Amino acid sequence: MIERRKNILLFGILILVLILFPFLASNYWIRLFTGIFMYGTLAQATNILMGFSGLVPFGNVVFFGIGAYFTGIAMLSLGFPFFIALVLGASACFVFAFVVGHPVLKLKGHYFAIATMGISEAIKQIATNVKITRGGMGLNLPLVPLEVNTSYLFFYFLMFSAMILVTIAAFWISKNRIGYALRAIMSNEDGAKSIGINTLHYKVLAWAISAFFTGLAGGIFAYWYGYIDPPSVFDIGISVRFIIMILLGGAGTIVGPLLGASFIELLSETVWSQFLFIHLGVLGAIIVLVVIFMPKGFLWFYRQKFSLEALLENVRKGKL
Amino acid sequence: MLILQVLINGILIGGLYGCVAVGFSLVWGVSNIINLSHGIFIMLGAYITFWLFTLFHIDPFLTIPISATILFLVGYLVQKFLLNYVVGYTQQSGFGVFLSLILTFGLARVFENLMVGIWSGDWRSVTTTYSGLSLHLAGVSIPYIRIAVFGVALLSAGLLSIFLYRSRAGMAIRAITFNTVGAQIVGIELDRIYNITFALGAALAGIAGSLVSLIYSFSPFLSTPYLSWAFVIVVMGGLGSIYGAIAGGILLGIIESVASVYVGPGYQQAIGFIILVLLLVFRPQGLFGKKFLK
Repeated sequence: MIERRKNILLFGILILVLILFPFLASNYWIRLFTGIFMYGTLAQATNILMGFSGLVPFGNVVFFGIGAYFTGIAMLSLGFPFFIALVLGASACFVFAFVVGHPVLKLKGHYFAIATMGISEAIKQIATNVKITRGGMGLNLPLVPLEVNTSYLFFYFLMFSAMILVTIAAFWISKNRIGYALRAIMSNEDGAKSIGINTLHYKVLAWAISAFFTGLAGGIFAYWYGYIDPPSVFDIGISVRFIIMILLGGAGTIVGPLLGASFIELLSETVWSQFLFIHLGVLGAIIVLVVIFMPKGFLWFYRQKFSLEALLENVRKGKL
Repeated sequence: MLILQVLINGILIGGLYGCVAVGFSLVWGVSNIINLSHGIFIMLGAYITFWLFTLFHIDPFLTIPISATILFLVGYLVQKFLLNYVVGYTQQSGFGVFLSLILTFGLARVFENLMVGIWSGDWRSVTTTYSGLSLHLAGVSIPYIRIAVFGVALLSAGLLSIFLYRSRAGMAIRAITFNTVGAQIVGIELDRIYNITFALGAALAGIAGSLVSLIYSFSPFLSTPYLSWAFVIVVMGGLGSIYGAIAGGILLGIIESVASVYVGPGYQQAIGFIILVLLLVFRPQGLFGKKFLK
């Protein structure tokens, strides 16, 4: 109980600090943190499916792209105000995942991962070729009708709220029927079926919820950057990035994905500014080392009280 | 005669696609590792040919054994010193299977960065004196180089098949795929077989890379399309099947070239991916049935 109260207190302090932070920091830091919150949202959203059920949606970036494009097109062609367009975009992702999920979520393991990647690439190619998205030329969204400094704050708090929202959703799901069903699927899907859990239903629901929040982040991203084109918003690299964040932090935990997102974003910012020409390679090498020494993520390392013995134990366990 | 030309183009390029996928399929089928560095290995093979050709003026076709050997060594070392430390998790439930995938993703970024450092990000190509020549037959024109590339692609798949059926190591690889535990009981060392399998997969990527350099321009950042082709073809042809990979490659080549003429060049890749998803949902065992290296 005391442990739990301490955690809640820590969490409250952290939120307070993050609310006060942008009023003290420069625009550079505000922008950097907005990016962290975006990846935090994406990682947490994907964690809802991946962390609890063990299915890895490699192409989840497709909802980021659909959310971004739907928001952009709803604002430009249909003249909707931003917030309505944003909710429409996220809902479109929910519906899309719900419809596509019924056939695709019957697949297991690798095959599900690849199918989602195929969907994402196919949608990317279609978005490059149809007229409504203006193809490869990209889409210029309306400018934010705010003063520069205020618009920095606006997107900071928007992304922050998205991250808090998806975290609350993930927490709620983890304590709910859906969470229990998903965990049962992770440990033994056939077993879960045999005690009467409609596994497909719960997997589809979890994927649709995760799609909703991924689309939300996409919509905010589109308005924030002001310009989107298919290669940037349907980039499979974004998917890989947030999946790595989830694994780094600790899949299936609530704090893990956020921790992973902050770590990778801050790290790549540092590496990027220090070693411009080798930043990709340095990031790659870090990924390789983490997978070998810490395959269960930071939270696991924290629970092991940062013991080096445990790291070496992992190497022994992973070896054939 | 347009349809004939389109079909022949598709078949010839399909052979190369098959060669791109064979090594990927072998590694995945045998050791359950999805090697996301496969695309970057292909690019490495292309750069080896490029260097040997521009620096020492060696004919690109003669560089193929060299790039295969170098990539074999690279693959062997990667499996021995990195992947063998995570493949133990592949037998467990949950994310164990995905660790090797993420590791190879990180590794691909390291290689990509190294290659940009050595060869820069510029687009390169290998142009020989005979690159422009083609065979004209019944109103269809076929570049000689594509015929040769097709031939080498089929030849390397054939050699792999002979290796798997005739050599002791090849038989051990097949034994592992049939029954991992049984194979270990009769004394086959799992880690050594995995090393050889991954090295073979990388060597095939090297061959594919040398062939790619003869037909297309390339840069270190161009590895992803080859990786996605490999995915589509493996799903089409069935996991771990050599002939399935070649047949799937040729089929994909035909589909893409027909689609680019009759639907529009922009949709060429979209159709490949839509087929991938449909196949996964309706025929996950591949078009030709499940034949694990049989």
